Amino acid sequence: MSAGAFAFFMNVPTLIFLGLVLAYPVIYAAYLSVHQVGLAQLRRGVFAFNGWTNYGRVLEDPLFWVAIKNTSIFTVITVGSEVVLAVLIALLLNQAGVWTSRITRFLILLPYAIPPIANGLIWSFLYSFQFGFLNRILFTLGLIDEPINWAGNPDTALYAVTVPYIWRTLPFAIILVHAALQGIPRDLYEAAAVDGARAWHRFWHITLPLLRPIIAIILVLRTAFAFAVFEEILAITQGGPGDATWVAAWYSYKITFSPPNNFGMGSASAFILTLMIGIVALVYMRLVYRRVTL
Amino acid sequence: MRDDVIGKWELSRRRVLAATAGLGLLGRSDLAFGQPSGPWSQPPRSKVDRLNFVVWTYGDIYTRIAKQFEADWGVKVDSTISSFNDHPTKLTTMFAAGEKIDVSQSSPFSFPNFVNQGLVEPIDDLPGAAEYIKDFTPFTKQVATIQGKTLGLPYFSAVWVWNYYADMLEKLKIDKPFASYDEFIEHCVKAKKDGVSRYPVLWVAGVGLEQLPGTWYQMTWNRGGTFFDKQGNHMLGAGSVARETLKWWANTFEKGLDISDPESLKVQFTTSAKAFGAGKNLYRGPNHHYGLNVANDPAQSPIAGKVKVMGSPGDGKTIGVTHVYFLTTANRDKEWGWKLLQYLGGRTKDGTYTQAIGLAKDAMLGSGFTSVMQSDAVKQGWAPWGDVPAILKIWDQAAYIGEVCSSVYQPWHFPWTDQLNIEVQKCLTGQITADQCCDNLIKGIADAKRKV
Repeated sequence: MSAGAFAFFMNVPTLIFLGLVLAYPVIYAAYLSVHQVGLAQLRRGVFAFNGWTNYGRVLEDPLFWVAIKNTSIFTVITVGSEVVLAVLIALLLNQAGVWTSRITRFLILLPYAIPPIANGLIWSFLYSFQFGFLNRILFTLGLIDEPINWAGNPDTALYAVTVPYIWRTLPFAIILVHAALQGIPRDLYEAAAVDGARAWHRFWHITLPLLRPIIAIILVLRTAFAFAVFEEILAITQGGPGDATWVAAWYSYKITFSPPNNFGMGSASAFILTLMIGIVALVYMRLVYRRVTL
Repeated sequence: MRDDVIGKWELSRRRVLAATAGLGLLGRSDLAFGQPSGPWSQPPRSKVDRLNFVVWTYGDIYTRIAKQFEADWGVKVDSTISSFNDHPTKLTTMFAAGEKIDVSQSSPFSFPNFVNQGLVEPIDDLPGAAEYIKDFTPFTKQVATIQGKTLGLPYFSAVWVWNYYADMLEKLKIDKPFASYDEFIEHCVKAKKDGVSRYPVLWVAGVGLEQLPGTWYQMTWNRGGTFFDKQGNHMLGAGSVARETLKWWANTFEKGLDISDPESLKVQFTTSAKAFGAGKNLYRGPNHHYGLNVANDPAQSPIAGKVKVMGSPGDGKTIGVTHVYFLTTANRDKEWGWKLLQYLGGRTKDGTYTQAIGLAKDAMLGSGFTSVMQSDAVKQGWAPWGDVPAILKIWDQAAYIGEVCSSVYQPWHFPWTDQLNIEVQKCLTGQITADQCCDNLIKGIADAKRKV
């Protein structure tokens, strides 16, 4: 048996598992997206083919485009903030002079271990208009005279839900960047120091280029997840006030699981979202994931 | 009705015993109580190993009723219980997946959809059904009867009332609560001006099927308007009562009078009762009557006993609603499913409306049965929390919500309500005008119909 054939043979169980767990539901959803599927049809298992009708109805629904706009804003803010904060915090942790205890490292990782829905509920309490902890602190510090309606004001609601999301997902990015920083050879910095490079130049010409591959991975992964944000929306705003925090996943959920339960249209909206994420991922890979030359 | 019946009804053993003793004392002078010789006491001829129901959470009523059913009939009952918001999703996904479901429940807003999608089994020909139908209140008849078929038994009923904080009114040196909408504004402006309350009115304007929409429906109905006429044509055009009501309502928010509590846009029925219990508002806008059992509960409200109930201005017209239990078409045995349905929404083996009476006595919920509404379960059970004669008087002035907004009978009402929540919240937060909101909703009717 050739090495290639052996490798394929060894991967067969994994491929079967992934096929059953991931590919089958995705393919089935694709099938549903081109059929007329309500509750009764789903139970009977008999669906009428309706071509691209579901896609057309999604694309002509103004609420879908509001959801896409909100999702894009949410994604830009959360992913951008995560990358910048992750690099800054990882650089800090990577300093030889900065000692972090196990408790500190645990606390840094802790938000990532919190279930998203619990995180949303915690922040909904923090944001509460009259009784929330956040307003209480700001009021006590004399920074505000009246409570701020963080999650209930259409001008602030979308930004308000980005904060809990960033808080929960940031540790993942920090871990990746920190690991990548530890893989950068020290002699590059020593050589740069001999050449008289200042800290900023060392960061710009050595650290950042060598972090680019991991940043690309973070961008792709975090963008995909941010595009699919759901739990924080469910727990904090449920899309409101008005449509201020309707995001793409919330749209798909409502279309699919609220009466009249249009599973076909819900699947179509999910596939349109998937396509958008795929395009963004390709753009990232072309722009950021370049061969590193120093 | 998002959280209205969640987490506020903890039934202790003592209360169960007290309720049981109360039932014994009341005897059988009332139709609501023991009629052991009826069809509800006869065992079905078929046999089943187990039954199940899919419901939304409410205290421990389902654990208790399942145990009682098992004890009475020797059949195990499995329950799938989710939150109110998750219930339609849970039910529909179980149904779509081909699972067995004997009994479930519905708000009147989801019900036409469930019927339309083939989830609901008619019950007219089942033993004892005719007697239940005779005992239905007018609300129940309007929810449970669709196209001449009876499709469910009532879970509970509620009417929309106003609440006020008596001490705050006294502090303002105002003798009695408002009797007109102009007076309402005067009181609120005075409360704000005098520094007694920063936000004198708390509305129920959180997203939902009957929260924010219910507030608008109620005030429109009270002013003599509806949302659709008898032919199904919308009544949202220029100069309509609904549109003018919305203009008035929006003006109470930030960019107008600024007397409405911003928290209004998030709260549901029970959360608004809890928030009102903090004593920061003068009035609590029209909403389900049973919030009094939270606002006047010393364990949950610092102003317990000071929250009073009042009717609506003018002729006092208000609205009401009934939620239902139903037998699903995915049942494993129709006779046994019917038996279980009666335990939830009808009589238990001893002929008593056990569940309805318990809900009235312990949670201040109204019943969909006339005999229960006329019984001491309501008169005595509600007394600790509010002025029962006043509430029952309001009850007599209530029309079923379907008379105000007849689209509740249509499957497209649900997606249209999604849009209504969005547009009205945008209006209340000053993003669009009431005219734009109503114009968008008129356009949205056709879109909602296409979604069904």
